[in-house]
Amino acid sequence: MSAPRLAFDDVTGGYGSTMIVRGASGAVSPGEVLCVLGRNGVGKTTLLKLLFGFLPCRTGAIRFDNCPLGALAPEMRRRIGMTYCPQERPVFDDLSVHDNLTLTRADRRLESFRPYFARFPVLESRLRQHAGTLSGGEKKVLSFVRGLAEDQPLVLLDEPSEGVQWENILEMEAAIKEKTAQGAAFIVVEQNLAFAERIADAYLVMDQGRAVLAGVRATMDRARLLAHLHV
Amino acid sequence: MLNGSLVVFLTVLLPFVVGRFWAYQLGLYGLYAAAAVGLGLCWGQAGFLPLGQALFFGFAAYLSGFAFIHFLDHPVIAVVMLPLAALAAGLLAYVIGILIFRRRGESGAYFSMITLALALLGFQVATSWNSVTGGFDGLKNIPGIPGLDDISSVYDLSAGVLLLMLALCRWLRHAPVGVLWRALAQNERRLLLFGFDTNRLKAVAFGVSGLMAGVAGAIYAPEQGIVTPELVGFGLSADLVIWTAIGGRGSLLGPVIGTLVVGSLSSQLRDSFVYWEVLMAIFFIVVVLAFPQGIVGLTAPLEPYFAARRRLREPITVSPRAAPERPALLAIDAATVTIGDVTLLDRLSLCFNRAGIYCVIGPNGAGKTSMFNLITGELDATAGKVMLDQVEVSGLEPHCITRRGLARKLQIPSIFPDLAITDNLAIALWSGRASGLALLDPRLRRWKSPMLDELCRRYPFLADAGRRAAALSHGERQILELAMALLTEPRVLLLDEPCAGLSPDETATLIDALRWAVGQLRGAIVIIIEHDMAVVKELAQRIYVLHNGGLLAEGDVAAIQASDKVRAVYVGAEK
Amino acid sequence: MDPLVLTQAINVVYGVSTLAAVTLGLAVIFGLLGVLNIAHGEFVMIGAYAAFVAQWAGWPFLAAVPVTLLVCGLLGYVVERILIRPLYRRPFDTLVATWGLSLLLREAAKAIFGRGYHSLTIPVPGTLHFLGTEYPTYRLILIAISLTVVTGLVVWYSRSRTGTWIRAMIGNPELAQAQGISVRKLASATFVTGTCLAGLAGIMVAPLVPIEPYMGLDYVLRAFFVLVVGGLGSVLGLFSGAAVIGGVNSVISAVANATYGYFTMLVLAILVMWLRPRGIVAQR
Repeated sequence: MSAPRLAFDDVTGGYGSTMIVRGASGAVSPGEVLCVLGRNGVGKTTLLKLLFGFLPCRTGAIRFDNCPLGALAPEMRRRIGMTYCPQERPVFDDLSVHDNLTLTRADRRLESFRPYFARFPVLESRLRQHAGTLSGGEKKVLSFVRGLAEDQPLVLLDEPSEGVQWENILEMEAAIKEKTAQGAAFIVVEQNLAFAERIADAYLVMDQGRAVLAGVRATMDRARLLAHLHV
Repeated sequence: MLNGSLVVFLTVLLPFVVGRFWAYQLGLYGLYAAAAVGLGLCWGQAGFLPLGQALFFGFAAYLSGFAFIHFLDHPVIAVVMLPLAALAAGLLAYVIGILIFRRRGESGAYFSMITLALALLGFQVATSWNSVTGGFDGLKNIPGIPGLDDISSVYDLSAGVLLLMLALCRWLRHAPVGVLWRALAQNERRLLLFGFDTNRLKAVAFGVSGLMAGVAGAIYAPEQGIVTPELVGFGLSADLVIWTAIGGRGSLLGPVIGTLVVGSLSSQLRDSFVYWEVLMAIFFIVVVLAFPQGIVGLTAPLEPYFAARRRLREPITVSPRAAPERPALLAIDAATVTIGDVTLLDRLSLCFNRAGIYCVIGPNGAGKTSMFNLITGELDATAGKVMLDQVEVSGLEPHCITRRGLARKLQIPSIFPDLAITDNLAIALWSGRASGLALLDPRLRRWKSPMLDELCRRYPFLADAGRRAAALSHGERQILELAMALLTEPRVLLLDEPCAGLSPDETATLIDALRWAVGQLRGAIVIIIEHDMAVVKELAQRIYVLHNGGLLAEGDVAAIQASDKVRAVYVGAEK
Repeated sequence: MDPLVLTQAINVVYGVSTLAAVTLGLAVIFGLLGVLNIAHGEFVMIGAYAAFVAQWAGWPFLAAVPVTLLVCGLLGYVVERILIRPLYRRPFDTLVATWGLSLLLREAAKAIFGRGYHSLTIPVPGTLHFLGTEYPTYRLILIAISLTVVTGLVVWYSRSRTGTWIRAMIGNPELAQAQGISVRKLASATFVTGTCLAGLAGIMVAPLVPIEPYMGLDYVLRAFFVLVVGGLGSVLGLFSGAAVIGGVNSVISAVANATYGYFTMLVLAILVMWLRPRGIVAQR
């Protein structure tokens, strides 16, 4: 196994005085998918925000390609090779689908998105529409495509499958597999166990802000996993 | 706070120390200082900034000047007109406050801008309404107050007025209303949810400040013998703000010291030193950004030596609120809430018809907190309604709804950080028990209740009188806010993630306290939003699962665990 | 049409379009950044004094433009760094800080140029025969420039890449940051744009108004009321706010007097604040 692309150790943090994540550790290597599982409110989204620098870590360290990230701003993390697709408000509602995709591309051209349009034809048919008019699932697809098309070594996805049709979830799976084959690493927060089981190489299960269970998919005890997910 | 008698003593001594010329100068600035005290009340206590305070000073000055000129032969009538002029200014300020603060949502900037515009309008009226105001020249040759019309009495008169205003301000700051002003400056929403009409509280503060400026202005006219449009306009308004800020807006004496020091220095230096005002402007910016306590803040280390000794007085126990005859009844009837294109709640119907603990769970964005906002009136129902004890409450203002026996703990612990813990708790005790003139009675600060005694026994930190709430840990803040909600002895208690961010030990004690409290609140409905399933299983008699703004499932723990629909939402399903 | 009525009509158009131009800078800063810059009027004042300096030094009128851009741009940059940036999430503190700034700029103008009035000769004298009536040429030019600047800015905002970035930043700052946009730099640039626009408006009106240290007060209040009435964030709002405030003010001032005009404007703004807190053109 190669050196981890991203490793986080004993990360604690939250909003103001409220600590949501308490001492979480984990790592993901190139070509790997790490799925973060758990009920809502256990700190999965907060963990991703800590990893991407939106929230400061109270304790712990995050290393990207063995280089400590410290208090690096999110826009700089993007520049060194990280991509983030948020769970809530995943797209710019006031911009067109076209502008959402090409926002940071100097040429504004759609050529590089052709393969994605083949997978998700709905996007191509909505290019001129404001992203705010899309359904929740379509926004997620748009955000997913935007994130993957950035071709970055590390992609953080926060509940990419939320509200998305099953056919499109399968296309997402295929797209992720294509990227991992090229060496990209993923950290995916998921609620949908069926999807997680299809893509994950390793799991990190959170409960009450702590990482309570971790391991590779093949050896994971499914009953224990379910106990942490279901009411 | 500086000892009152010491201040009086210094005031009497001062003219003998500084000589006649300066005593006269200070007499003039003493009146401005009285107006600045009112400004400090608005800005330093209630947290909004009037930029046109001279309007009330000048308005009262014109009124009293007009009265003295026109009742030249009946000085008694003129003297009677003095307090009336001051009252008129106070009333004007109160009405303006009511009109502006009525705007829902953030109104601070709007208030400042409109008061600024009003001062400019006042200046225009003063210069153009020649027949009444005397135009640019103003009212001249105003006769003095009989018996107080020679030069040497200027200081005495002004000092008397100033001391009177300081006494009034000191009393208000100490009374419950002062605590409420400081509270609303820190966390207006929290105060609103305790059933206080925050807009009216702000308008009252503004009215009092207008009254103080009015008293000073009314005395100014006969004392100085002349009233010019400058008294209403922008210049004096701006000076008052600068003096108040530099002296220290948060303290009682700060505005006075700022006015006397900066004001009288300016009168000497502004003509000889061209850049004096530029310097003051820079000084103002620095003070606002870096030293909000102003000059008076520099004396903070000396405070223990001068502080008046606080007498310990017997607490006053208020009886528990009368137990209701019937248990509470809360129903949400087909409520839909949409904001723009987003539907937060979608024909949600829930009925809480028996006392007990209900838990609401659901994924992110299911509409749990929106449901609470709907119940407390912070969100308006697009369709449907909310009924409390068979009366429709949707459409009422939040403070009117909470007054009907509703208490809420917010998701992120919401307290008044800069107030003492005891004041935080006192506000909760006043909620629903005290209103109107009762809020002027300082004895209310000594209130306690049997419930408070028991809470302090369980959580000793709550009885720590000297500590500010800001010093509390996250867990203690959660407890404090819960205690505040309980002290109102509500019929309906809404708790939004009371255990968020707590350690397992803290969670256990919180559950314990909740159980005890619910036993105390007979007939109450307690609704808890909670993610921690351990807490839900421990407490809930009945669980509601929300999803996409509607009700997905309801039942006891076992029924929810067995539900396929709930499973699909929580674990995901292939479809 | 009666030439007198026509002249009055053009007067109203002139009033409204210059008011829109004066408001534009405040609209950019308040609408996009949520910062109420009370010193807006003093940036207008700087532009006017720049025009005065240009004339006094014998330079051509347009030389005031680079001077203004330099002064307002630099000042805006420094102010954003020192006063605004630390206070972005504290609107009340920004209000007090920019009020202090307005005080400082006003007092500085007083110290440098004195308290008195200055006036300029109109750079383009004469009248133009327009729609059957004689009208001052410079005012017609002002109308044209105001309309062009406002529409131009709006088109740029909706079409250009930077405009798209700004819209992205306002709509969803966290996502903009996640995509590598430096929100701080963009906000700083937006603030500087706002102060420069205020300065340019100051140059435009300079030849027609008395130039004095207190002139900014009136501009910032009027601009603020335009935004209260028209609402933030749309051109339609800007123009309808300017139309209502400018129109009411000039009509009432003409029929009664300036005090009544001012009073009506104030009452109107308070009414709109209650009834349509997001402005008269906003959908609920």
